[in-house]
Amino acid sequence: MSSVPGTDRRSKLLVYTIEECPVCGQKTKRAFQVGDYVTKESTNCTKCSNPTRISLVYAEPTKPSR
Amino acid sequence: MLYGQRLQVYMALGDIGRGLNKLKLMKDKSRKEAIDYLVNVGKAPKDPTERVDQFLDYVTIMPVDIDPQGLVNKIDHVMTTNNDRVRAEVSNLLAQTTQVAATASGTSMPALSPPNPVTVSISENLLEVASSLNLIHKIVRHYYLLGKKTNSYFTLIQLQMIMPMIIQEADALLNAVDSFKVGQPVGDGIGAAIASRYMVGKEKRVVAKDTVMAISEYKGRKLYVLKAEGPMGYVGQPGVAIKKVVEEMGVKPSAIIMIDAALKLEGEKTGEIAEGVGAAIGGIGVEKFQIEEVATNHKVPLYAILVKQSILEAITVMRKEIAEASDKVQQVLNRLIEEKTKEGDDVLIAGIGNTLGVAQ
Repeated sequence: MSSVPGTDRRSKLLVYTIEECPVCGQKTKRAFQVGDYVTKESTNCTKCSNPTRISLVYAEPTKPSR
Repeated sequence: MLYGQRLQVYMALGDIGRGLNKLKLMKDKSRKEAIDYLVNVGKAPKDPTERVDQFLDYVTIMPVDIDPQGLVNKIDHVMTTNNDRVRAEVSNLLAQTTQVAATASGTSMPALSPPNPVTVSISENLLEVASSLNLIHKIVRHYYLLGKKTNSYFTLIQLQMIMPMIIQEADALLNAVDSFKVGQPVGDGIGAAIASRYMVGKEKRVVAKDTVMAISEYKGRKLYVLKAEGPMGYVGQPGVAIKKVVEEMGVKPSAIIMIDAALKLEGEKTGEIAEGVGAAIGGIGVEKFQIEEVATNHKVPLYAILVKQSILEAITVMRKEIAEASDKVQQVLNRLIEEKTKEGDDVLIAGIGNTLGVAQ
């Protein structure tokens, strides 16, 4: 039996950016775009029109491929 | 060699050989990714392949330790020299001829403009990954060939036993390339991400190489918050920074609170938070030594907040569980400040880790 691990069937990761409005606290989740970074000023808030700030960038797994 | 042992040697050789092939593919891929990044994103004016290959075989010679006095300073010196050299080399590779400088005679000529610091830091990280995989491959190949040559049963069996762990670590390094290339925050950046929450909108000052500090306030306490300068993929020099804040700027903190990622044991959950005392920082030990020395000399208690994750999660894009722990870490940090200090006190907070994709 081989001790070397075979091809990894790890589920694919999707990366999201969370934008947070510093005024009303509304959070929006969207797909990560190159150039995004935490604390970067982003689009205007859909609720109060103030500029939002990126508060988190994280990855979530999709369903494992079989 | 007995019949059974001979069979086991054949099996071990086959196993290690397969792993070795896998490691070779990984090191070749990481090398190619680094070169592609330098050419396509960094817009290197010349073909960087030869320099990259030289870089992969570059060695850092550690100081002699038979006389340990002053050893940490020597290691610090060697590592700083190495880091400076890597930065300078990558900057030279990426130097652009985009600016046009006017000469005294009135004619214009192309001049070198400094490359984007984010691109330089990402290139440094990619080259480090390629260099690590190159070294892993070389060492495994060395013991594989040595075991084969000397027909050493025990060398081969030991190598076969640790091969899954080696492949796992190499796989983690290769996976890190995808996150580094696009500047996504990695799991190790959780400490920096928490610190950045206290720094947004505040005036920042550079307190050590690649390390910035901002002064904030929480319930009557003055917070001196520091982290590596983002969104570049830097780890900074928190040891030098803390020393400077305490010894040169004359700040007398009632507590130093460090936030960092910590490797979890198998069975522990990703994103779990652990509290403790002591300097929460990894690496070769230089920064840890400097922080412990300052804290001991000035009798400042050192507190640690750790966010658990695996090696793969630490060097690849930050997982949801880790990112979502940041709110809880902030609550723990605020509680710690309230419990361990009183109004009017100064508190030093250090967010430790690679700050790629996390500004301040």
